Amino acid sequence: MPDLVAGLGPYLPLLLEGARTTLLLFVLTLPIGFLIALPFAFARNARNRALRGLGHGFVLFFRGAPLLVVLFLVYYGLPQVPGIRQSVLWFLLRDPFTVAVIALSLNSAGFQTHIIAGALRNVPANEVEAARAAGFSRPQVFRFIVAPHAVRLGIRSFGNEAVFVLKGTAVVSFITVRDLMGAANQVYFRTFELVPPLVFAALVYLAAVFAVSRFVRLVEWHATPQLRRAR
Amino acid sequence: MDLSLLAFGSGWGDALARGLLVTLALAAASVVLGTALGLGGALVATSRRRTAARLVGGYEVVMRSLPELLVIFAVYYGFSFALQALLAPFGVDGFVAIDAFWAGVLAIGMVHGAYCSEVFRGAFAAVPAGPLEAAAALGLRPLPTFVTVKLPLALRFALPGLMNLVVVTLKATPLVAAVGLEDLLRVAGDAGKNTKHYLTFYLAALAVYLVLAAAIWLVEGRIERRASKFLGA
Repeated sequence: MPDLVAGLGPYLPLLLEGARTTLLLFVLTLPIGFLIALPFAFARNARNRALRGLGHGFVLFFRGAPLLVVLFLVYYGLPQVPGIRQSVLWFLLRDPFTVAVIALSLNSAGFQTHIIAGALRNVPANEVEAARAAGFSRPQVFRFIVAPHAVRLGIRSFGNEAVFVLKGTAVVSFITVRDLMGAANQVYFRTFELVPPLVFAALVYLAAVFAVSRFVRLVEWHATPQLRRAR
Repeated sequence: MDLSLLAFGSGWGDALARGLLVTLALAAASVVLGTALGLGGALVATSRRRTAARLVGGYEVVMRSLPELLVIFAVYYGFSFALQALLAPFGVDGFVAIDAFWAGVLAIGMVHGAYCSEVFRGAFAAVPAGPLEAAAALGLRPLPTFVTVKLPLALRFALPGLMNLVVVTLKATPLVAAVGLEDLLRVAGDAGKNTKHYLTFYLAALAVYLVLAAAIWLVEGRIERRASKFLGA
């Protein structure tokens, strides 16, 4: 490790800056994706057929479309939609970093919709009925019964999705955002040393994934009373 | 949008079709390699060889944590570096380029294998003890038991997961363009750059990827329905 850092020498700031961009993309994408996913998840579970179809279509679209295609469509394609350059959206689409956040968030929202809708659907109906019979209002049922149980059911899949988001951020170097992957690449092209920058990047990604999985386990432990009692 | 841009002959249709073939070949070869790696990995991971099992586990964790793009770069540049070092004593100098297609197959196949290994492990664990005990009672040796009893049963449990991974891997193929492969998305991008009609070409590429994914899901549904008959579910 000390050798590795020494080998990177003058390029360490470049890589650290890249790592910062990657982590920033990650912490922006996951919550924004969640906020986009919530309404689609409710639509997916709605009684109305059209709403259900909309939620399902949203999920299928992002499960089938490569992330890179989504990214290129937003970055190169959207500015060619007639009228968009005159609209208020234009200032968002001019900056590659914002485009990256938009594309990554939309893509993750597709997968998060699937996870959230599934978790909400699988909360046992009798718990809801019992709460209603005990006099809970509908918002209270959601707040105290459905939401906590859904978190318990969905947290693992959510953790997997978080890892996918983290890995997925690497595609932003295709649209000139200098993330960790892009920085490592640049160091390679300047120094023609392959191993140090790639190993550095790999270690950062591994550490980040490790942190995510630790965090997920912590949330799972807090959200699952029977796990705590078993200790 | 000008759809004549996508025409065969006068438009970009021929180039896009060649790109599509590259994409399909890359996905198919990666899936074959990855499934084989995954099956082997699962067998080692569930075997009694502790050290080997742990190595496989570590490989899975690493491959599932790293961006595919990083694996692609590592394989592509790593191999050309190794070749350069090997050829240097023979007076070959400078950058030795290896084939982007096969580097992509190896890289994406390795990642695919890590995910497949997990699916196979779950599938082996799901095989009920009854048929295996019956095979033992009949005096079937371990290898025939595995090939004729355990593997066919496990495959039925593994199929939905494996088919899902095929879509995941298909979606990873455009990343190989980063080392110069002319796949569908790359050709669409070149066409967009040449004609300034990015939107048309990227929408066309998107449509193709969505149709391919939908086709895989359709096949998956069919196979699952057939397999569930045999599982008595």
